[in-house]
Amino acid sequence: MWELIQSNRRKSLILFFGMGALLILIGYVFGSYYDPEAGGVVGVFFAIVLWVILSALSYFAGSKILLAVSGAKEVTKDVHPQLYNVVEEMKIAAGVPFFPKIYIIDDPAPNAFATGVKPENSAIAVTSGLLSTLNRYELQGVVAHEMSHIVNRDILLMTFAGVMLGVITIMSDIFFRGMYFGGGSRYRSRSSSKSSGQAQVIVMILAIILAILGPVLAQLFYFAISRKREYLADASAARLTRYPEGLANALEKIANSTHKLRSANKVTAPMYIVNPLKREGMKLADLTSTHPPISERIKILRALQQGVSYNDYQRVFEMIHGKKEKIIPDSVLKESIAVTPVIGLTNEDKDFNPIEARREANDAVMKLNDYNFINCKCGVKIKIPPDYNKPIVVCPRCGTRHQLR
Amino acid sequence: MIYFIIFLAVIVLIILFFVSIYNALIRLRNQVKNAWAQIDVQLKRRHDLIPNLIETVKGYMTHERQIMENITKYRSQAMNAQTVGEKAQAESLLSGALGQLRVQVENYPDLKANQNFLALQEELTATENKISFARQNYNDQVLMYNNKIQMFPSNIVAGMFNFKEEEFFEIKDVAEKEVPKVSFN
Amino acid sequence: MNCPICKEPMIILELNRVEIDYCPVCSGIWLDEGELELLYSIDNTESELKKLFRESSDSKEKSFKCPVCRKKMIKIRFNNTELIIDKCPVNHGLWFNKGELEKVLSAKTNQSSQKVLSLLKEMFSYNKSQEAE
Repeated sequence: MWELIQSNRRKSLILFFGMGALLILIGYVFGSYYDPEAGGVVGVFFAIVLWVILSALSYFAGSKILLAVSGAKEVTKDVHPQLYNVVEEMKIAAGVPFFPKIYIIDDPAPNAFATGVKPENSAIAVTSGLLSTLNRYELQGVVAHEMSHIVNRDILLMTFAGVMLGVITIMSDIFFRGMYFGGGSRYRSRSSSKSSGQAQVIVMILAIILAILGPVLAQLFYFAISRKREYLADASAARLTRYPEGLANALEKIANSTHKLRSANKVTAPMYIVNPLKREGMKLADLTSTHPPISERIKILRALQQGVSYNDYQRVFEMIHGKKEKIIPDSVLKESIAVTPVIGLTNEDKDFNPIEARREANDAVMKLNDYNFINCKCGVKIKIPPDYNKPIVVCPRCGTRHQLR
Repeated sequence: MIYFIIFLAVIVLIILFFVSIYNALIRLRNQVKNAWAQIDVQLKRRHDLIPNLIETVKGYMTHERQIMENITKYRSQAMNAQTVGEKAQAESLLSGALGQLRVQVENYPDLKANQNFLALQEELTATENKISFARQNYNDQVLMYNNKIQMFPSNIVAGMFNFKEEEFFEIKDVAEKEVPKVSFN
Repeated sequence: MNCPICKEPMIILELNRVEIDYCPVCSGIWLDEGELELLYSIDNTESELKKLFRESSDSKEKSFKCPVCRKKMIKIRFNNTELIIDKCPVNHGLWFNKGELEKVLSAKTNQSSQKVLSLLKEMFSYNKSQEAE
């Protein structure tokens, strides 16, 4: 596990500096475009300030913002005992000391994400739709995938990469807007009389190229990395649960769902276990997608018959992908011990009852919305909405008068 | 003189090498201990749940006195076990008896509709899972630790400082092994 | 969710895996579209049951608003009897005035409706005993 974190840290740094260099270059060139003498420095300064502010914001408040934007609410064990237990099960399987906070999003579309730059204050959020469609093994698979993102320190990496991408996109936006309103031309005409016009033309061309290619480049970089993290989290999840079929079935159910996640947008989409912004019939989407094609992830998981170690995942990945590509870092492959999957387990979670699961998910959402739950001793469960304003409620079965606050 | 320095340097390097192996062994051993503590926590949790379960089930189940007595008996055996082997033995007997109880629950629809029992059932299923995941983590750690002890050159250091191989936490019951993630029903 | 008739907040009752919205003031029952499915999922009599409902445009009963979407509910007649029930025009669910659900359920004599019927009787046993006095 340590090896995995180490290799991720190294990658974090390379990415960090690589994208940082791109950012500075863009700042300098855009600045020079406006003012050849002092503009470069001002542009770099502006880019760095913007980046520092956004990075600090996302480091300290990013997960809170993300959770708030997606409408997630923190839950305690009594809201949805099974979810809480499954998270604890995966925490134990991973052998980690921290316990992620658990959030539920009231949305019928099944999906989930993890957040938190430090494992100690990480969180796992799932939609109520996920809870009502998945059985226990499938839920374990999804939670294991999210737990792996936290344990492998993927979130820090993705957060910083996301901010870089955002700043570069914003800079290009400002540049184009400035050009549209003719902000640059005033300076250009003045300076071209003084210095050589040729250099000015080069700067202008460079600036336009960077404004167009910068965001695309940053995005490709970002996508390439997030794609790898998804495969790796799948591999880790299979290893944690020893039951790849669970996650495979869950991915299938999520992909087949007809609901659309309400709160997802372009910025938050890469955080989810399955891209919530699915567009139909887009082959091109595979190239720029933040997530590997879901059918391929399922195929790999289902082919993990002999073993579920990282070595097995790498081998099966190459077999299905048809070409050599390192998806699991070398350092981890070296450490990998033989891990056999659970055998004789069919995906039939005998306790699973779709009606029950839906009821429990609904109850969880009601509890989140301050419904008062009373278990009458006669066996009737009374759920009282927060706007119910009478002081007592009478159980229609046994006549017990329940006092409310 | 120059040979002496080279000799000294080699000695220092060897010592450093051995220290790093020693530290790695200590780290692995601590991980094994920590993993064991995790299993222990969950086994205790299961022991705590059992009186509550028996209490809830008693009123409904009339013909399963023997199973309930066995559960109580194996529970106290497991609580008093000393070694890993003994503990594994008693715990797997306990798992078996709990499994029998689960099968019988099917015959009592009233019990299955009882809110109290449903909550207990979720807790027991979760605890069984936690035990099996804690065991899985423990056995992985033991495997890595034992590998280190057996392999050259760490086996020399392990021998010098008396690092002993750890026992795996095996479940003897065959039926239980095939379906480690027990679910009710 | 508020009762379409008294406009008071309804409470939710659950017994043996059956859940209904219930108005403690007028004793009316609201069944979400999903809930009706859940009630009858046991042996798929749901569509069969639905066939028994016919839209009745000539009803003189006062119409109410769907508690979910606030659209005016339509009147449906059950099995050519005098029983008229309110249904949301976009299928959010059904509204049963006091006692109506029991009448609908007792019209069918298959196992699942009997099961649900006895459950409903069980659920409101205290209210029943009060009325008898």
